[in-house]
Amino acid sequence: MAFTTYYSLQSLIAAGRRKAGDKEVISFDLFDTLLVRRIHDPDLVKLPVARYIADLAGRQGLSWNWRQVQRRRDAIEQRHRAETGTKFVDHEACYPRFIGELLGEIFQSSFDEALLDKVTDYELAMENRMLVPRQLLVDWIKELAQVGKRIFIISDMYMPATHLRLMVRHAGLDELVEEVVSSADSFLAKASGKAYPMMAEKYGLRPAAWLHVGDNPFSDGLRAEEAGMEAMIVHDPGEDQRKSIGKRYYNYSDGRPFWRGRLLQQLMAPLEAENQPRSLLYSEGYNFLGPLIGVFVQQIAKFCREKEITKVFFLSREGWTFKRYWEKALPLLNPVGDLPDTEYLYVSRMALAGASCAYQGLTKTNADIAFLPSGNRDFRDVCRIFGLDPDRFVSHLAPYGLKADTCLSHIHEGYNPENRQNFDALLDDRAFQDEVKRQTQAANEAMQRYFSQAGLFDHKNVAIVDIGWLGTIQRFLFEAIAHRADCPTCFGLLFGATRGIPYPESDKNTITGIMYDRNRFDLAASTLYYAQDLFEEACRAPHPTLNGYRLTEAGFELEFRQTEDEIGRAELAQDGYFAPLQQGIIDSAEKFGAAAALLGYGFDDLKPWVNYLLVCKLAFPRAKEVSRIRHRHHLDDFHGSKKPKADFGRGMVPLWSQSPSQLKFNPLLRMRCFFSHLRRIINE
Amino acid sequence: MSTSQNERYDLRGLELARLIKIAFLGKYVPMGNFRGGPGARCLVVLGTLHYLGYPLYLLLARYGHRFQLLRRIAGKLRG
Repeated sequence: MAFTTYYSLQSLIAAGRRKAGDKEVISFDLFDTLLVRRIHDPDLVKLPVARYIADLAGRQGLSWNWRQVQRRRDAIEQRHRAETGTKFVDHEACYPRFIGELLGEIFQSSFDEALLDKVTDYELAMENRMLVPRQLLVDWIKELAQVGKRIFIISDMYMPATHLRLMVRHAGLDELVEEVVSSADSFLAKASGKAYPMMAEKYGLRPAAWLHVGDNPFSDGLRAEEAGMEAMIVHDPGEDQRKSIGKRYYNYSDGRPFWRGRLLQQLMAPLEAENQPRSLLYSEGYNFLGPLIGVFVQQIAKFCREKEITKVFFLSREGWTFKRYWEKALPLLNPVGDLPDTEYLYVSRMALAGASCAYQGLTKTNADIAFLPSGNRDFRDVCRIFGLDPDRFVSHLAPYGLKADTCLSHIHEGYNPENRQNFDALLDDRAFQDEVKRQTQAANEAMQRYFSQAGLFDHKNVAIVDIGWLGTIQRFLFEAIAHRADCPTCFGLLFGATRGIPYPESDKNTITGIMYDRNRFDLAASTLYYAQDLFEEACRAPHPTLNGYRLTEAGFELEFRQTEDEIGRAELAQDGYFAPLQQGIIDSAEKFGAAAALLGYGFDDLKPWVNYLLVCKLAFPRAKEVSRIRHRHHLDDFHGSKKPKADFGRGMVPLWSQSPSQLKFNPLLRMRCFFSHLRRIINE
Repeated sequence: MSTSQNERYDLRGLELARLIKIAFLGKYVPMGNFRGGPGARCLVVLGTLHYLGYPLYLLLARYGHRFQLLRRIAGKLRG
């Protein structure tokens, strides 16, 4: 064989530059040369298309499952190839013809061109997500185009040139290429060598002035040489290694569910120009947090279908990231388009706490929630949280021997249990509760106007999506709207439900922890306890927290926290620090959607890998990882400024609060913390 | 600054060596439900591919055609 094989793109391009000098035409093979696939087996792209067709059929009441669709597609394609073989040397098939026949067979009289276009668009979208241009070759093609060489792309493929052109456009090469030639149009392929003379005649090419680059020694090498052209073959061991690794992950995931999530991440991994050096925080977002959020939103979509939920409300501020992830990942996962509407809802514990008292008053549980943060000590803190004016309660407090500054929290100096009992008795006082309701009425009215505008009351079933942990925001939200006749059934879907305070579940108001729920024993997922703030900061929207809803003549106004003070500036600094992390999360969304759609994996398939991710990154992190992804600043709007007793919080320092030297040099630290965590979870 | 996928086609921050360490620890300490875990054989094969894959495939690409006899013998041994 006269053609030369090169074992790296660099050597191929170096030689190509020398050879191209006296050539007029340079042609490239498309697949596995100019474009590489993320997957080892190109046929895997057909599977999500089969699922899509089966879903479309199901919506028309036709009973086709995706395996039947795939089998019919294969059979029809084979028949088309055999028929072509009777008239041509090559056994080629043409996508629009065989897929049109398949759809006609499945959908009978309801088949039309629009359906063919929809299916084709989805298959091309999946192909495009799985194809990556080889950057060095792209750069070389740009050089060649600049010096006036004629560039062609030739492929033996069932997709016609019009479809391949879309892939070439997606790869950013459209402007540089004179023509894309596919064997599906002429049934003359490179494999038989018939494509080359056909092209020479059609485009007026001289074989002696033509250089062809490809990966197949037979069709791109031998056949090209036979046609009188010069050929260069690339055989990249790095590509062999990459595909071999992907193939192993794929094969292992069949028998060992643990590998399914790892396989998904292998398909998501950036390649070529996508894989640029970036901040290490970006990788944490892309490789660690992104896939976790992907699994979370995928499960939300499934839950919505099961419960017939028609609108999903992503609660501020973490919902901002969840919603963006949803919008990028789910269209490919649900091409049929049966997704519920989505809305980003501006809420916060502080904003809703007051509004929740307008009809039910201040309940004992809600007062207890106010005393959970260690910085809250007395009735003034209760008033701060629930938006009450403490001066107007002086006459209500006095009969119970209380003042606004009386200590009501057991972790502060001056605590007397009798005062707390008196405070509980005060909560049963009708006059006190009437005053609470009076003071919170306006906030509740403004909140209802905002929720009406957001469409919360236009749906029977809604999902309320939040990061976690106690479900306090949903608790306040539901209590604030429960009096309404059009109050929807609220399905709370939390990233993690730690349920520190029992949630008042009812038929119309439930919460479920997707990644972790204390109601089901899940040791690996419980490692979320290690660094809850990390998830909050990583997903937090870049806007200040909501302080409340203000009633205006025109309707309502959202009141945001100021950003000029020290805490506001600290939040801005944190936003800036975590910007690469958030970028990594968002960049992973589309890749997650494509990979999950291709593999057809759901929550149960991915959970073992998710469990590994959580244990590995949260319970056994590297010292550098902790210092990198531990947040710099964290605002807890509930937290007051009072100092608890000196001995409060003494005991074992949590792993993520340990010093860098402890994390680096104490070999048993992680194990000790893990056993302590294990004991706590078992005793819960 | 670094790439999210390293030159061994492994995920940055989730390298196979780390997985092997956690899997080994998981043999003795309960860590949660990994549904059977990764499996020793899979780890050996993947470890070989991630860490030694490139030189192996370079050898195969350059001289693989000379191993035809060995491949035939291996095929017969496998039955």
